[in-house]
This record gives sequence, structure tokens and C-alpha cells, in this order.
Amino acid sequence: MPYKITDAHTCADVGLSVSGETPEQLFADAAAGLTEIMVEPKGLENEKKLSLELEDDSLEELFYSWLSELIYIKDARDFLMKQCRLKIKKNNRYKLAAYLTGDNVDPKRQVLKVDVKGVTYYRFRIEKIEDTWQGEVVFDL
Amino acid sequence: MSRESFKRLSNNIWEVPIDFKPGMNVPARILSSPELFDSIDDRVIDQITNVACLPGIKKAAFCMPDGHVGYGFPIGGVAAFAKDDGIISPGGIGFDINCGMRLLRTNLTLDMIKPKMEYLLASLFSTIPSGVGSKGFVKLSRGSFNRLMESGAQWCLENDFATETDLEFIENQGCIENADSSAVSEKAISRGINQMGTLGSGNHYLEVEVAPREGVFDQTLAEKFGVTVDDQILIAIHCGSRGFGHQIATDYLQVFNKCMGKYGLEVRDRELMSAPIDSDEGRRYFRAMACAANSAFANRQLIVSGIRRVFRSVFGQSDKELGIETIYDVAHNIAKFEKYEIDGREETLLVHRKGATRSFGPGRAEIPAQYRDIGQPVIVGGSMETGSALLCGTKYADDETFGSSLHGAGRTMSRMKAKKSTRGEQVRQRMKDSGILVKTGYMPGLAEEAAFAYKNIDAVVEAVHEIGISKKVARFYPVLNIKG
Repeated sequence: MPYKITDAHTCADVGLSVSGETPEQLFADAAAGLTEIMVEPKGLENEKKLSLELEDDSLEELFYSWLSELIYIKDARDFLMKQCRLKIKKNNRYKLAAYLTGDNVDPKRQVLKVDVKGVTYYRFRIEKIEDTWQGEVVFDL
Repeated sequence: MSRESFKRLSNNIWEVPIDFKPGMNVPARILSSPELFDSIDDRVIDQITNVACLPGIKKAAFCMPDGHVGYGFPIGGVAAFAKDDGIISPGGIGFDINCGMRLLRTNLTLDMIKPKMEYLLASLFSTIPSGVGSKGFVKLSRGSFNRLMESGAQWCLENDFATETDLEFIENQGCIENADSSAVSEKAISRGINQMGTLGSGNHYLEVEVAPREGVFDQTLAEKFGVTVDDQILIAIHCGSRGFGHQIATDYLQVFNKCMGKYGLEVRDRELMSAPIDSDEGRRYFRAMACAANSAFANRQLIVSGIRRVFRSVFGQSDKELGIETIYDVAHNIAKFEKYEIDGREETLLVHRKGATRSFGPGRAEIPAQYRDIGQPVIVGGSMETGSALLCGTKYADDETFGSSLHGAGRTMSRMKAKKSTRGEQVRQRMKDSGILVKTGYMPGLAEEAAFAYKNIDAVVEAVHEIGISKKVARFYPVLNIKG
């Protein structure tokens, strides 16, 4: 599995270790891991669609914004991501364009686990080690 | 980590000296018991001594007996900063701004609710929304939400979700001053507007508890707080500002991340990102943080309104007959301006309490007139299997810890480890065997919140009582629990 849900370094929360050959893969896999922390993914339909565009000064900040955005759309737009396609470009800043498919939150159809509410900077990192992009994040529950 | 240089100030207070690590401006003080002290994670020591390095910090950085690893500050961390050259840090407040406790008393006793326990639990569960993506029963316009975040529980009074007595018994009467909705992002508003009146998830809960006579430590204080009858039923609510507060914390962490260089601020941990109190960014964060704090006061009040509705329906009695009254409502993730004497001079300080409760002693004007001769109630939430405790603030806390005390039992085991140790169904059965009915939307979550994942609440309560920063009043035991 390209991501691993881990014991957070703080005992109250949950961490995620993720790796990918490209930043896009890393971002997509981290998003899938975040979904799995909140809900059983197999219970999600793929019928809702959403496009997102984000930009930030560094790839690491973009990673923070990306995960924060997924938490935001869960609360504000009732949207749980199942799959995503995304592209990251660098000009002056890092720009992300993503196309998401997923489902509305529905406790009758889905096994909802725990509400992830924020991305922490606690040991937050994203880096390229040899040919692999690796990231670590701890979510506040 | 060697603890040899720590100075034992008393049986329950250890001081980490200022030369423990470079950059400390004040010592750190660990409040604990000898038994609990040995089990404190080295990372807690590292975090509280990082706090001691922050600019403008006064006197000492404190860690309460329930302290455990957090982000930036440890949970249980308390620090006060000078208004003119100190900082404000989201890491000293927590993502869940004004996470706190509400404690209600009733005229009911255990025998009176026993025949209706299952029905009462089901009714509470269906009325008070909890879990991922839950939506509140109050539909708010944008204008109403702005009013709610600027006025807090006052909004509930204006809209018939509160009584004047409720407001009197909420910290700051349910409203932190200088809340300004213009400091809040559109994102935070759209996350929060549909969540008012919801419990959330994780360690948040609603609990119906019983107060047996043998659990009362101080009869006079207990009676003053309205705990007067053997096996009296009380209700505890633990929750905060939901996604609204989290979005505000996220927004301002990103703002502070970019502005710290401008102010020459360097911190030892990114989660301690800060801005000067006296800066545009710092002032805006305080105003937004106050909005989140007010929304949390209103959120708990809306839940109280739902609870009253359920009890009226289940027991067929009026509010007056049921006597569901607020004992107190405390914030345990917050920063507030308070006055303290420093080096013989009164100063206004911004006191950060992260997983710590205000514990003002007798005579403080900030506490309700009814409690002013004894001190404020300090409500301590334990695990869902062990119940909670009611304590009373002291002058010693005012003098020594910026009027602060503990907030809960304090977690010791990770969620994943707890889930590996037991199953949710086993916890549910064990609780049932002990006379506690529990309901949740996600059964494995019960394992995460099992009693063994927390410190012993009696040990941490005993520690603060011995130190003198709060006085034991009574222990309450759960009979019904809704785990968010």
C-alpha cells in the first residue's frame, strides 16, 4: 500500500506515512489515506465530482494546503473523496489542479470512523529521497 | 533525558532550570505526583521547555498533572505572555479552540431514571448529532452566524436556547470580548455554519452521570454547587468549536508561518508558530480565536437546549420540575487577557491554557456571585468508563499557576494501540456489566476511548488537590454515554 496509517507521535491523534514516485502520486495517495482514516472507502460511491485549484510558495506548503482543503470540503461541501487525478506545475509558485470523484457524507450507507479536523505541522515533512517522494503528516482529530 | 538537574520545589512540583536548554527565558514547572512524574514522556519535558523559550513569557511555563504530548505546547500546558512584548500562538491554544466542559445538575436521581435508561440514551443519541459530517439542528443565516460568533452564548439567550441563569454560569458569561467576524475566513464560516449544536467525534462525549454520597469529598462545596442528594443525576458535555475553530487555527498557522520572519521570531518547534500580541497578525488571530471560543460556548449551550428537550419528552416533566441547571461551563483550550502581579506590579498578560482549566479562587470578580466566596468550579473529564470530577478553584492557583489547573485524565496510549488491545464490542459489554450504557456511531471508536488509554483520573485529581491549585469536591460516575 502506498500509504500507511500510523500511530501519531501524540497519542490522541493519527499519522500517515506516504510515498510516491512523483509529487502527484504522493499527494493522491495521501488523500486516499486521509479518506481511509475517516471512512471505509469501499462504502463510497464515485458519483460526485469536484475540481480544485490551489497554489502555494513551496511544495511542502502546497501539501499542507491540499490536505487541509480535503478536510474543508468534507465539512463545508459534505464531500468525501474516493479518487483523484491531479497535476502540479511550478512557475513562480507551485500550482495544483485536481479533479476529484467521491460521495456525500451519508451515515446510512457508509461506515464513518472519526472526524479529521486539521493538519498539524507536527513532524510534517515532504522530501525526495533518492527516486522516491516521501511525506509524513499527523492529523488532529 | 536526564532529569538530575530538576529541582524538587515540593512533593508535587519539579522545576526545570533555565539553563536546561539554550534560549529558555523562564524555568518550566512540572506539577505531578511522584508516581505520575516517572511516567511523564520526555517529549512533554521537551515541549514545555520549548514553551519556556518563547518571547515575553512570564514567571514559568507550567505543565499540569494530566500533561501529555501535544502540538507545540503539551496538553496541560499553561503560559502567560506580556501584552507589550509577548506572543500569541495557536499551538498554545489548540486546534479545537475552546474545547471545554459543561456540567449540568438535575432534580433526578438514579432510581428515577433507571426504568427509562435505554429510551433516554436512544433519544439523546438521535437528538444530539455526533460523528463525521454531522449537522446541527439550528439553521443559521450568515448574519446570524456572525452574531453568534461575536456574542457567543448571548446569541442562544436571544434565540430561546438559553436562560439568563445559564449565561451567568458560563466562563466569561459565554462571550469573549473583541471577537470580530471580519477576522474569520470564508472557509471557516462555511465549515462552521452547519455544525452548531453538534458533539463531534474523537474524545468528545455527552454523559449522564450519578453522584453517590460516598463520592462527595467536600459536602459544603458540593451543596454550594447544587450537588445535594445521594445518587443525584448530572450531565457532562465535552466538546468545542468543531470545524470552525479548526479552520481558524489552520488559517492562522499558515499566516504565522509566513510572517514570523518579519518579526524576527524563531521557535524551536514549528507548532509553536507565533506572532507578537501587539501586531496586526496577532490581533487578528486573537479576534478570530475569540469568535471560535464564542461559537464553542454557543455550541455547548445548543446541546444543553437539546438535552432539556429530550428530558422533557422522556420524563414528561417541565424544565422547572427537572431542574436541569448549569453548574458551570469551562474552556480548556483558550488564551485570555488576565491581570496578575509580576515582580510587585500588576500586569495584563495573555494566559494560554491548552488542555488546562481556569481555577480562580475565592474573591475573583470574574466568577459568579453565587460561587465568589468559595472559588469557581473546575470540571475534569475522565474516560467514558470512569466518569468525571468536580473541583473548586483556589487562591494558591491564582498566586502560583496563573489561576490554572488540570482538564482531564490525560491520555497515555495511542488510538491504534488501544484498538489492538481490545475491541469496541468488548468495551461496550464491559461498560454494560458495570451499569453503563453507551452508544456510538462507530463501534471500534469505543476501544480507542477505553479507560486503560488514559491516566487514572483519581491520581491526577489527587495531585492537584495536594498541590493546592484545586480542591476536590466530588466524583461522578457514568451511567449513560454518547461517544462522538
